[in-house]
Amino acid sequence: MKSAWKVIQEQIKNLYLIRRLSLYELKSENSNNYLGMAWIIINPMIQIFVYWLVFGYISGRGDVLLENGKHAHYITWLISGIFLWFFLQPAIIQGSRSIYTRIRFIAKMNFPMSAIPSYVIFEKLYQHLFLTGIILVIMQFTAFKASLYLIQLPYFMFGAIMFLFSVSLITSTLSTIVRDVHQILISVMRMMFYLTPILWEQAYLEKVPSILRQVLLLNPMYYLIQGYRASILGTSWYAVNHSAYTVYFWCFILIVLMFGSFIHLKFRDHFVDYL
Amino acid sequence: MEKSVIVKNVSKKYKMYTKNSEKLLDLILPKSYGKSFYALHDISFEAEKGDVIGIIGVNGSGKSTLSNIISGIIPPTSGTVQVNGEASLIAIQSGLKNELTGRENIELKCLMLGFNKKEIIALTPQIIDFADIGDFIDQPVKTYSSGMRSRLGFAISIHIDPDILVIDEALSVGDRTFADKCLDKMNEFKSRGKTIFFISHSIGQMKKFCEKALWVQYGHVEQYGLMSEVMPNYEAFINKYKKMSKAEKQQFKKEVEEKRMVQA
Repeated sequence: MKSAWKVIQEQIKNLYLIRRLSLYELKSENSNNYLGMAWIIINPMIQIFVYWLVFGYISGRGDVLLENGKHAHYITWLISGIFLWFFLQPAIIQGSRSIYTRIRFIAKMNFPMSAIPSYVIFEKLYQHLFLTGIILVIMQFTAFKASLYLIQLPYFMFGAIMFLFSVSLITSTLSTIVRDVHQILISVMRMMFYLTPILWEQAYLEKVPSILRQVLLLNPMYYLIQGYRASILGTSWYAVNHSAYTVYFWCFILIVLMFGSFIHLKFRDHFVDYL
Repeated sequence: MEKSVIVKNVSKKYKMYTKNSEKLLDLILPKSYGKSFYALHDISFEAEKGDVIGIIGVNGSGKSTLSNIISGIIPPTSGTVQVNGEASLIAIQSGLKNELTGRENIELKCLMLGFNKKEIIALTPQIIDFADIGDFIDQPVKTYSSGMRSRLGFAISIHIDPDILVIDEALSVGDRTFADKCLDKMNEFKSRGKTIFFISHSIGQMKKFCEKALWVQYGHVEQYGLMSEVMPNYEAFINKYKKMSKAEKQQFKKEVEEKRMVQA
């Protein structure tokens, strides 16, 4: 608990630094492309198109039944959740390699190393905010216009940031010590894409044994994706209606955060030795 | 005199793995496994405020490891380093980001060194002036020549005003005029009572600039004292080494290396 508190304090103290560093990160990442920042939009759009083509059009899927009894076109429903994945996936992968790719550059700097994963996540957050804006505009042209339920969105976004930060504390530490962890993580994330209700709706799970359903629910990204959908499609007050799940989510974050801070603080003085 | 750096019994061990399986075993087994190499073995010395110490020694004797340890980049395996004040390392690879412009790199580095917005705004024109690379300051660093890069790196590091300055070969890429400019700046540091560690293979620069010398020989301190006392011995050693036949040289190297290798 003490180490988690220390790590959080370090983040708050270095907020200006994290903001500036993430802007530079964004800049240096996109400066080589002629289309620059436009790729933040183009990339997801291509992916959404392919997923819709394969899982929607070719397999001839009908509309999706929502929590509140309404129906949504598959593509509308797909967009409302998948764009969160375009934040989670790169943030987790980049967060995991954030420390060992920068250690040479950063070792002698006067700022806490715990700020490294967070500025990488922040960089992705800018892109995510941008994409969120675009998705919300697109939604105005469908049957799902902005509603009061949208005020849940900042809450789930905060949840996503906390989730990414706590997980990255663990993965960045472990993959600095054992590089293979990063490879494992890439595989796990690829698996998670199919084990999270991104391409399929929850109703699909009715045919599977309930024990498996419970196991899938353990994945905190499940909660986030469902929460995003509930906010954007305006179906329900997700966090309140599923209060037990909300409690589980935050317990998960707290435990991961405490463990992550603990190992991060324990090993960070020796990161350079693991090069 | 006030001490600025106290290095006590410092050793730095590196693992020498020949196979990946050794790496794995070392990680899993509770006791360490495989051979280690002493980059530094039981180094002790003290530096006072205002000292300018030249670190001399042949390639691979641990000079850069020592400078990294003094400036706090890598932790020692055993022993203690006590640094009174802020230490800053200036090396050739100065950690500039290729994609960003010189100006952006200045802000980035200053931010990371813990300066606030106001201080950075005040420092930037001074740094640009010192680096003296003209319009290139707004071009990405990847387009720079190696000289320009080291000029920018040096300019940033010297303007952050550290108490202890460690210069690792950083002057060797710049031209004469820039080297002179840097030496002037370093003299100014000296007169303000700051400690400077200077690593260079230019014996001329060393003699001109440093008062003390620390001779590091294959991981241990061979001699530490005034430049005028240490340098003749070092030069004598170099000459002796040069005169050896090829077989003798190899024999000598092998012996030294064996001394630095230990099991686990």
